[in-house]
Amino acid sequence: MKSYEIIEHTADIGIRVKGKDLRELFRNAALAMFDLIATRLKESKSPDKEKILVKIKSDNLEELFVNWLNELLSLSSVKEKIFCEVSFKNLDKNSLEAEVVGCALMNYKIESEIKAATYHQLQLREEQSGWQAEVIFDV
Amino acid sequence: MSNFWQGPIEKIDDFHWRIPKTYKPGMRVPGIIIADEKLLKDIRHDKAAEQVANVAFLPGIVGASLAMPDIHWGYGFSIGGVAATDVEAGGVISPGGVGFDINCGVRMLKTNFQYEEVKDRIKDLVYALFSGIPSGLGSKGDIRVSTREEKEIFLKGSKWAVQKGFGIEEDLECTEENGAIQGADPGAVSDRAYERGKAQSGTLGSGNHFVEVQVIDQLYDRDCCDQFGLNLGQITVMIHSGSRGLGYQVCDDYTRSMIRCLEKYKIDVPDRQLACAPVNSTEGSAYLSAMRCAANYAWANRQCLMHLTRGVFEKVFSMSWQKIGMSLIYDVAHNIAKIEKHKVGGIEKKLCVHRKGATRAFGPGHPALPQKYSKTGQPVIIPGDMGRNSYLLVGTEKAMEETFGSTCHGAGRLKSRSAALKSIRLDDLLKKLEAKGIVVKASGRGTIIEEAPEVYKDVNDVVDVVHKVGISKRVCRMRPLGVIKG
Repeated sequence: MKSYEIIEHTADIGIRVKGKDLRELFRNAALAMFDLIATRLKESKSPDKEKILVKIKSDNLEELFVNWLNELLSLSSVKEKIFCEVSFKNLDKNSLEAEVVGCALMNYKIESEIKAATYHQLQLREEQSGWQAEVIFDV
Repeated sequence: MSNFWQGPIEKIDDFHWRIPKTYKPGMRVPGIIIADEKLLKDIRHDKAAEQVANVAFLPGIVGASLAMPDIHWGYGFSIGGVAATDVEAGGVISPGGVGFDINCGVRMLKTNFQYEEVKDRIKDLVYALFSGIPSGLGSKGDIRVSTREEKEIFLKGSKWAVQKGFGIEEDLECTEENGAIQGADPGAVSDRAYERGKAQSGTLGSGNHFVEVQVIDQLYDRDCCDQFGLNLGQITVMIHSGSRGLGYQVCDDYTRSMIRCLEKYKIDVPDRQLACAPVNSTEGSAYLSAMRCAANYAWANRQCLMHLTRGVFEKVFSMSWQKIGMSLIYDVAHNIAKIEKHKVGGIEKKLCVHRKGATRAFGPGHPALPQKYSKTGQPVIIPGDMGRNSYLLVGTEKAMEETFGSTCHGAGRLKSRSAALKSIRLDDLLKKLEAKGIVVKASGRGTIIEEAPEVYKDVNDVVDVVHKVGISKRVCRMRPLGVIKG
């Protein structure tokens, strides 16, 4: 079962994603975004993996969230990788430091291109059971 | 959850609908939607009209926040929106009013072929185009450039490509801004954007970008057709692409910086994706300089794509593209912000015109037009969906008066991508297209479904409105024969 839901949007695509804490929320959002972009093939064609350290600072949590997703899209394009693992060394409301693992594009079937995460109708909120975010991507 | 928009829309006449300034405190001008009753019904089915109202908050906006009949829900701005701000009166520029795909646009080429001559070769041609033109997510081409060359592309646009041998001087004349808008500053582009742009020149990208082989199936203005050298049954080609990852990065970089400007310049907008800064501020002018680099990159990209297309035709038909008569009719941007002069209340003003999913449509005699189009008005290219039609129109004086020289840009989406994936089966769709004689090749299976004709409004309805309103004029209509998609 998918760890995120699709939000209907005429031209673009949105997701609703949850996490028990902020780290899980940011991780799940990143993995959901790459799940929209590509589907892992059953057989690996290349064992290549690259670990990348990502550091971001932002003025507030919402900007940190959008900047995080856009930084991953940008790195994915430059490095020609799909990010499949995420772990955080640090994450607070203004900054994060994460280690992400990029897998070779050839191990995936490409589904669609996401140009960017947007601020349109962006929501991040803390609930009783953890955190929930809604974000719309430009596709 | 229904997204039906319940807000106020007042009828002005059969084709003009007003969202009153009083709808939301903070609107500086009303919203005006150009549509007929049928299209307006579709428009109310998502939040596009709310976005038209939100754009009316932009400082310095003049006239109205305008929406073309192909308007649909975007992020921040609606797609199909036009907003002009008064540069000398604190008017702002917003990266969201241009979008991530800076200078996404379309160009149209003609050929000397008649449909009857090539109808049996369309499949070969489409397959050859698919293998000859890099497409799909992150596609990288054979045209790789160094940082120094990228700077040249940012400044010279299409001219860079022509100097590399990817086209001829005449192509530049037939491109909006001659393929290079002035005022680009390569220093305003981030290192990451440079990196993303290096390998993507001459690549199509994915989503709704395409190369399509078409045939002219209806002539509307015979004089114009004669001037353009277009006849019934003639084969034409349309190319739709933009600035690729480079443009996305420029938009992202500057949206970040402009969110800070909201506080700095005390700007109140209802959506952070409308983040903006005065055109005359440091941040505004930096964005404008970087956006122009990305716009020029996109023109160079479409020039490269046209070069590759000409090459494929040469191979398939074993003759030179010149002999095939593959000359460029015109190339237009439909995601861009331009500094232009327009009359507001009878007084000429320097405006920043945002066209987000809208096409420039300058009328006859405008100084920005090349001599050959001075009498006809600017060619306006309107791609439809891959199952119905596309159009060639010309700009009019009415557009200068009413819409800051702008018109629609396409059919406009009606259904979401996820709704398409749920309701359309690929096999059925391909059979339907095949029955119409349309060959489709795409990198992703999902792309074909997401771009199915039924997810779009009927472009014939959209063009009918802009023609009747007079903000552009029909010249001829094409129908698709073969299409490659990312």
